[in-house]
Amino acid sequence: MIAIIDYGAGNIQSVCNALKKIGQEFKIANSPEGLCGADKIIMPGVGSAGAAMQSLLESNLIEAISGSGVPFLGICLGMQLLADFSEEDGVQCCSIIPGRVRKFNDGRLKVPHMGWNKVERTQKSPLLSGIGDGNYFYFVHSFYFDAPQEFVVAQTIYGLKFPAIIQKDNFYAVQFHPEKSGPMGLQLLRNFCEKC
Amino acid sequence: MLIIPAIDIIEGKCVRLTKGKFDSKKIYNESPVCVAKDFEKLGAAMIHVIDLDGAKTGKPVNLNLISQICAEVKIPVQVGGGIRDFATAENYFSAGVYRIIIGTKAVLNSGFIKKLLAEFGAERIVISIDCNGEKVATRGWQSEGRENIFEFAGNLKMLGIKNVIVTDISRDGTLTEPNFELTEKIQKIGLNVIAAGGVSSLESIKKLKKLKISGAIIGKAIYEGKINLGEAIKLGKPLSGLTKRIIPCLDVKNGRVVKGINFKNLVDAGDPVELGKKYSESGADELVFLDITASKEKRKTLVEIVRAIAQEIFIPFTVGGGIKTVEDVQALLRAGADKITINTAAVLNPVLITQTAKIFGSQCVVVSIDVKKNADGYFVYIKGGSEKTQLEAVSWAQEVERLGAGEIMLTSMDRDGTKDGFDTEILKKISEAVKIPVIASGGAGKLQDFADALNKGKSDAVLAASLFHFNKFSIAEVKKFLLENNISTRL
Repeated sequence: MIAIIDYGAGNIQSVCNALKKIGQEFKIANSPEGLCGADKIIMPGVGSAGAAMQSLLESNLIEAISGSGVPFLGICLGMQLLADFSEEDGVQCCSIIPGRVRKFNDGRLKVPHMGWNKVERTQKSPLLSGIGDGNYFYFVHSFYFDAPQEFVVAQTIYGLKFPAIIQKDNFYAVQFHPEKSGPMGLQLLRNFCEKC
Repeated sequence: MLIIPAIDIIEGKCVRLTKGKFDSKKIYNESPVCVAKDFEKLGAAMIHVIDLDGAKTGKPVNLNLISQICAEVKIPVQVGGGIRDFATAENYFSAGVYRIIIGTKAVLNSGFIKKLLAEFGAERIVISIDCNGEKVATRGWQSEGRENIFEFAGNLKMLGIKNVIVTDISRDGTLTEPNFELTEKIQKIGLNVIAAGGVSSLESIKKLKKLKISGAIIGKAIYEGKINLGEAIKLGKPLSGLTKRIIPCLDVKNGRVVKGINFKNLVDAGDPVELGKKYSESGADELVFLDITASKEKRKTLVEIVRAIAQEIFIPFTVGGGIKTVEDVQALLRAGADKITINTAAVLNPVLITQTAKIFGSQCVVVSIDVKKNADGYFVYIKGGSEKTQLEAVSWAQEVERLGAGEIMLTSMDRDGTKDGFDTEILKKISEAVKIPVIASGGAGKLQDFADALNKGKSDAVLAASLFHFNKFSIAEVKKFLLENNISTRL
């Protein structure tokens, strides 16, 4: 059973629809008890870092997440919340993967970074099984996770190279929205469910 | 675009010639190895080395030195000059050279090229097309051949060659500019072209990059300080891999997709769930669903249709029509919409933009702006185009950005459904006035219209409805056309 963390503002419906499509069972969790017994956790993300951290704190989810030991997938904001600190709202995050969340700041480019961009592999990962290098995924974000290269599995170019997929221990995280990235996105979710 | 700094060697020293003439030799550095190491330090991804003595005599003269360069740098080195037989090619590869450049010999002996390709593969062989105008030049540039350059390039492609260096020797070392026209023409034959000769300013590099040329070799301009190699490399790197989006739009009335002209005369175009699924599977980058009955007849958007569509499509999905409150937004997002779009409500109650952005994030707030050109400029219309406001289009666009909108969908009412092309004038004005993405809507008729909306109109995405509903073009056809016109899309 996969637990999907619901921290209020995040639109979890698309992730639910995608899991349904690939035939995975899931439940919605908004408390540490809700995570009990889950063999995988997905934290989707839409909304702002400040509100999301506030909600995670209030529902005592941070320790439950960092200590669960089961494969965890953070999506978009759900990825950024794993960092030490986010410049969005200037908040401390979960400190599960070292690094800082920074704002895109290239005058030549529009912000948010919105649309389909190429994801280039930098390391092997079960998440990318059956997915060719340089595939397109759908991104919507104004901030990116500046993580150490050793944890970066794939990167994307938007003014600079930023991590598109990161991985550390049982934590996997993607900056794009696999649930909105067509067949390849569904493949990535399937990989997380079956290969991680 | 790959920026490749050049090292030309005569008698073990780093030199440059002008227009390939040996008596114009100027020594820049006693140690080509040091130069190569400097290039690597500055971030070069490849180095271009020419044994000029070899080119002149027809056999390698500086092989030991080149072998030393390959040993001292980690980046790939391509080498040319005097490689006219198979044994020499083998010697260079054994010396650690990444790929070899064949010039003169290629013109004279296609059997040699075939053998090289069979043995080492197309990635390891580059043909240097030295030309003088549209004629191929041979023998270390000292005697001129007669073959037409386009015929020559076409023949190379047929042999299996992938990479060519194009040097217009009338410009090499002259610090002018490369022969853009010639370079582009050869690239269009279907070869990866590396431009050489006359690449002497960052402007030239920008222009080559715009023409999607694979690489540029820079020599004299670096040594003479006309180009800072680090800056050139930075400029050559792609700014972004983001593609332009093609978005089919479903205008829905009473549960059916409809399409009208200038917002009127509606024709049935199919079932929304079926069409949404079809587009999602055929390469649409996003989907927009507008309940066009909603605003006018004060009806709420059909949440149930949204829910049904959201279960079938796995691309971003925007819903609009009649949204007035944060609760309306929440109901749609819960039903599976990724973004909502507001038009009339944004004008009548601008605080809704800010509230929605604050709670759900600005990425999900698309403000639709319907505009019409009047004698004194472009003005915003609301209520399905039936009511003119006093809002000037560009300032309203800037205002919605300030209020927290994440994207603007700009519809020209004058063009909507007419197939006369997008209104690129207002598109450009608004795209340049805001930092958020702009979706062009209203007027798609020809394939060129899509390219114009993106290039001339500077928009980030293009929306069309009837063209797709009535199968005038498929999404794939539009994308293929854009790719052929150097506009990046996801195929």
